[in-house]
Amino acid sequence: MTLLEVDQLSVTYTPRDQPAVRAVRDVSFTISDGEFVGLLGESGCGKSTLGNALLRLLSPPARIIGGRVLFDGADLATLHTRQLRELRWTNLSTVFQSSMNSLNPVIRIREQFADTFAAHRVTDNVDTRAAELMELVSLDRRVLRAFPHELSGGMKQRVALALALALRPKLVLLDEPTTGLDVVVQRSILDRLAELRQELGFAVLFISHDLGTVLQMADRVLVMYAGEIVENRPAAELRSDPRHPYTRGLLGSYADPRQPEVRITSIPGRTPDLSVSHPGCLFAPRCPYAEDACTQTHPALLPDHGGLVRCLVAQADRLPTTPPGPLTGATVDPAFVATGGAEVASISPGIADAAGTSSAGAAGARSPNAGSGSLSAADTDEATGAGETAAILVVHDVHKRYTTRKGLRTNTVTAISGVSLALHRGRVTALVGQSGSGKTTIARLITGIERPTTGEVRFNGGGDGDGDPTRVDRLRGRALRDYRRHVQMVFQDPFAALNPTRTVAYALSRPLVNYGGLRGGAARDRAAELLESVGLFPAGQFLDKLPHQLSGGQRQRVVTARALAPDPAVLIADEPISMLDVSIRAEILELLADLVRTRRLAMLYITHDLLSARLLADEVLVLNRGELVESGPTAEVIGAPRNDYTKLLLDSIPRL
Amino acid sequence: MSTPAPAVPTPSRNTQTAVEQGHRSGMRGRLLGRQPGWFAILWRNRKCRIGLLILAGFVLVALFAPVLAPYDPRSNDFPTSLGPTGDHWLGTTVQGEDVFSQLVVGARTSLIVGLAAGLLSTLVGLVIGLTAGYAGGWVDEILSFLINLGLVVPALPLMVTLAAYSPVRGLWLIIFVISVTGWAYGARIKRSQIITLRTRDYITAARFAGDGTARIIAREIVPNMTSLIVVGFMGAALAAIGGEAGLAFLGLGDPLTVSWGTMLNQASLGGAMITGQWAWLIAPGLTLALLITSFTLINFGIDALSNPHLREDG
Amino acid sequence: MAYFARRFAFFLATLWAAVTLNFLIPRLQPGDPAEAIVSRIGGKGQAVDPAQLEAVRTMLGAPGGNLFEQYVRYLGAVFSGDFGVSYSYFPYSVTHMIGEALPWTLVLVGVTQILSFVIGTLLGTWAAYRRNTRVDSVITLGSTFVGTLPFFWIALLLIYVFAITLRWFPERGGYGGGSSPGWNWLFISDAFQHSVLPGLALLITGPIGWIIGMRNNMVQSLGEDHARLAVARGLPERRIAITYGARIAILPNVTGFAIALGSILGGTVLVETVFNYPGMGRLLLESVSNKDFPLMQAIFLFTTIGVLIANFLADILYGFLDPRVRKAENS
Repeated sequence: MTLLEVDQLSVTYTPRDQPAVRAVRDVSFTISDGEFVGLLGESGCGKSTLGNALLRLLSPPARIIGGRVLFDGADLATLHTRQLRELRWTNLSTVFQSSMNSLNPVIRIREQFADTFAAHRVTDNVDTRAAELMELVSLDRRVLRAFPHELSGGMKQRVALALALALRPKLVLLDEPTTGLDVVVQRSILDRLAELRQELGFAVLFISHDLGTVLQMADRVLVMYAGEIVENRPAAELRSDPRHPYTRGLLGSYADPRQPEVRITSIPGRTPDLSVSHPGCLFAPRCPYAEDACTQTHPALLPDHGGLVRCLVAQADRLPTTPPGPLTGATVDPAFVATGGAEVASISPGIADAAGTSSAGAAGARSPNAGSGSLSAADTDEATGAGETAAILVVHDVHKRYTTRKGLRTNTVTAISGVSLALHRGRVTALVGQSGSGKTTIARLITGIERPTTGEVRFNGGGDGDGDPTRVDRLRGRALRDYRRHVQMVFQDPFAALNPTRTVAYALSRPLVNYGGLRGGAARDRAAELLESVGLFPAGQFLDKLPHQLSGGQRQRVVTARALAPDPAVLIADEPISMLDVSIRAEILELLADLVRTRRLAMLYITHDLLSARLLADEVLVLNRGELVESGPTAEVIGAPRNDYTKLLLDSIPRL
Repeated sequence: MSTPAPAVPTPSRNTQTAVEQGHRSGMRGRLLGRQPGWFAILWRNRKCRIGLLILAGFVLVALFAPVLAPYDPRSNDFPTSLGPTGDHWLGTTVQGEDVFSQLVVGARTSLIVGLAAGLLSTLVGLVIGLTAGYAGGWVDEILSFLINLGLVVPALPLMVTLAAYSPVRGLWLIIFVISVTGWAYGARIKRSQIITLRTRDYITAARFAGDGTARIIAREIVPNMTSLIVVGFMGAALAAIGGEAGLAFLGLGDPLTVSWGTMLNQASLGGAMITGQWAWLIAPGLTLALLITSFTLINFGIDALSNPHLREDG
Repeated sequence: MAYFARRFAFFLATLWAAVTLNFLIPRLQPGDPAEAIVSRIGGKGQAVDPAQLEAVRTMLGAPGGNLFEQYVRYLGAVFSGDFGVSYSYFPYSVTHMIGEALPWTLVLVGVTQILSFVIGTLLGTWAAYRRNTRVDSVITLGSTFVGTLPFFWIALLLIYVFAITLRWFPERGGYGGGSSPGWNWLFISDAFQHSVLPGLALLITGPIGWIIGMRNNMVQSLGEDHARLAVARGLPERRIAITYGARIAILPNVTGFAIALGSILGGTVLVETVFNYPGMGRLLLESVSNKDFPLMQAIFLFTTIGVLIANFLADILYGFLDPRVRKAENS
């Protein structure tokens, strides 16, 4: 039986002195009793706006400009506030993305439950009911007495989930409920959610950009692009037979790192500007199958192969039948390769077959796979060679303790204990761990921002490799600056890493001026060369742009170009793709892999994401609470983990 | 100090968070980049446009004061305590000076004090705030303590005490006294702003690019604080204009300068209320209020400039 | 408890700094401060009276000795409450004069401040509750406009309208000639009548800062996720406005209280002068015109200490209101 029916819902943002943006456009779908529906889309596609519109939580300048939201026969979009208030939470509850802010900071958790019960005239004993709910989400009942700031992010999100279930609603809307939490915590919350749904039988609308999770959890998936639903199909069918080219692209950008062969692709181009009207299909400019009609006729969401799809090519059944590679193990979708050009990443450095995982060593494991991707072949040679060369940077038995002093008490926290690692030219070492595991501290020690409490950081690339190694842990002032020309960083958030008031040319010229002694025109010419070396053509078009005029992927390329400017030997990449949209991650990974190969860089790749580590790294180090718990060739660590913590990390990845 | 200070803290607190929001949402680059859009955005805001026009009017009056004033404001050759007449639009003082001429020349005093003391205290606040925020550690501890002290010491009594000790009360002394008492608020805001800015990745990136501290502050940090500095200057100028008027009204201003504060002081002492010279009493207060209004209106625009949220709510 | 200890330490440190500032101000001018002061009292060209010089030296805390000895003796004098003898109200001591004036200001400022805070907070809450409606615009724009009016000018207009033209209230002073200070009905009603206009002058502009602050903070906190979630939870509007809006929005206003008080006291100087009200502000100005430096210094010190105490109390209150502060300081 239909629980929620959304009919032609549209939302527009009308800022005062900017053009109006049609954020959600003619969205229609239904959710049945007890159904788990996933709403999948990348940032800016309008999925959160849609969620807020369903909850009627939009605030100016966003406004519903048309359509209906029928819930049990009542139209939530137009219902009078007083009647709406009665329906809220008893019928439709929600968990927001940011667990940090979704609880009132100045009142105790218990009060937030009491508020909810009082508002809906629940007469049961608050403490009993609230304690039951705490139990549902596996929390201690003492949490009720706490203030929100006393809880961890995961605990807060559990409280938010308990709150959402407080009145036994028929539908729960979850908007990126676990984004920002550690993978292990994410996993346990999602598992609990699945169990609770079994027990209590509520329906779920699960909004997320995380394809793996959505496919694993949902019965049916809605795919959203540029404010529209482009595909609506049962999850299993969506996985095996995606019918919209965008869905195919998204599926191509995801893979399970535990598979014997891993390959991801990216979608070229960027999302359309929704403040101007487009006559044709919104995805057409990025679509490998686009035909002439696609640029003129706006497709409707029509039944197709047992689902609904908004694509003229699919509806005319002219879609190539080749399903995307990564999930089935076949080769990459040729259409993307053909049209994507430089944008396409086709990386498969991993284990070619299951046999490679256990027996063969690092280099050996790779060779059978040569030829299937440009990276893997070259990588093999490098890996073999690298094994013989001396390490360019060595971290030896490093400990880092922080001492904080408050009045007379001192408090010592151990961030890193006994970590040793070595970086080699032409090789990528991945440092994998959750937030708080100490991986960023290691980057700070290597780059000389901080000094280890004990232990050594040695750099062997200072002169021509003839002199004694540089003791990084003893550098200061001028010497530290000289050292940094050899060790550069690529940051996590490309927007934060570029000064919003400075042009690309300025950002690139600084290292050239400071380290290369270049001036004026020479620096500018070199900056242009750097831009082209990171795939930004023609460079002249980018030099005078400000960061906000670039897309996320372009910004990350600029950040990378700046790091390359002093021609460093070591590159520290701190989660360089985690802030990027899923569909463009592959292209940045490919860029990094390419740079390591062509420039013989030694790279420390810091990540929490095992998929990208699998794709990029030769060697993986797993860090837990400041200690290395496992290390070895990527294929061995991911294919046959020995440490429990590594196994836990791997188990947290959704299995498809 | 005629504007109550509590009006200042909270709107500026919003400015500060707004600046951060701007950073995150990516609006800020567009708003405060090197494009010419800067002034255009201010101008497009209706409140701000009115404020700018009023201020421009005051600036013109101040520039051409000698031409615009019908008489020498100090000349007391006229009949005393006149009400408004054709010759003396706003009447004359108890000493026989022309009130309108004094009003015109007084605009000059207010603007000079506002500009000079505003600049001076903004500069002091900027240097102290930047140093405290960027240096951190014990430097920050000491400077923060100074800032907090500057915030809690009551400004007007301090001004009165400082003014009382100085043998000559020239306009520059008044400006100095006002700046000494008015820098702390701006310093606090700038300190907290730089603390959030200095941990940004692009600052670390600049250090990796080999830039030195001075260059990082000047080229990477300060450009991102433009609106904050402008808002701070407007607030400081506004407080300075009020402070000068207050001091002058108390009879502690520069005795040789005609200002709206001294006019009100004389109107009060000269019995304007008893003789019913309402124009003498009302005009200086209204012009003062109008000048302060123009600053407030401009601040609306600047707030909106750095806070996309406010832009949307109007 | 670490939070409270820290605030108390800050209070002591600022107290010390204020006393030191007070010690330094007269010494900022070149030469012997005592002689400089006495020559200013007497006017140019007059011989310095040794007795005067002695009195001023006592006020400065040290007849002779180097700066450090002077400082130590000055501190001793301050902490024993000895501020010397008033020059213009001889033979009364400075402490006596302040004792006479302090209650007037305490009552006037205390009552108007508490009223301002309450009125301002309520109006600000109302404006935020009805945000983006006519009520909001009227309150916001109205208070912004009134905020631009000069303080003392409003006071002058009040006298002009209510005292001189309408004759509803006495024009100036703290009480009439017919009554004498004491706990009698005549005096209290007389003092009340005299305090209406000064109080009104303080109350017209007093709430504005709180209105704007409260309104903006509350609009902000009502836009945050926890308030939006409260809406989604179907809580009554009023409950959301109070617990998820006002309850949080009031916090910055509490910390702003002491800073505001510093400038309110400035306003009090102006208002007391306009109304010739016998409080600390008028006494400060009188001491300035009479060149009564011992009195002036002591008043400045007392005023500063008053603000510091208020600041400390506001910090303590804040600690109780915001659970996050106590925790953050503890960990």
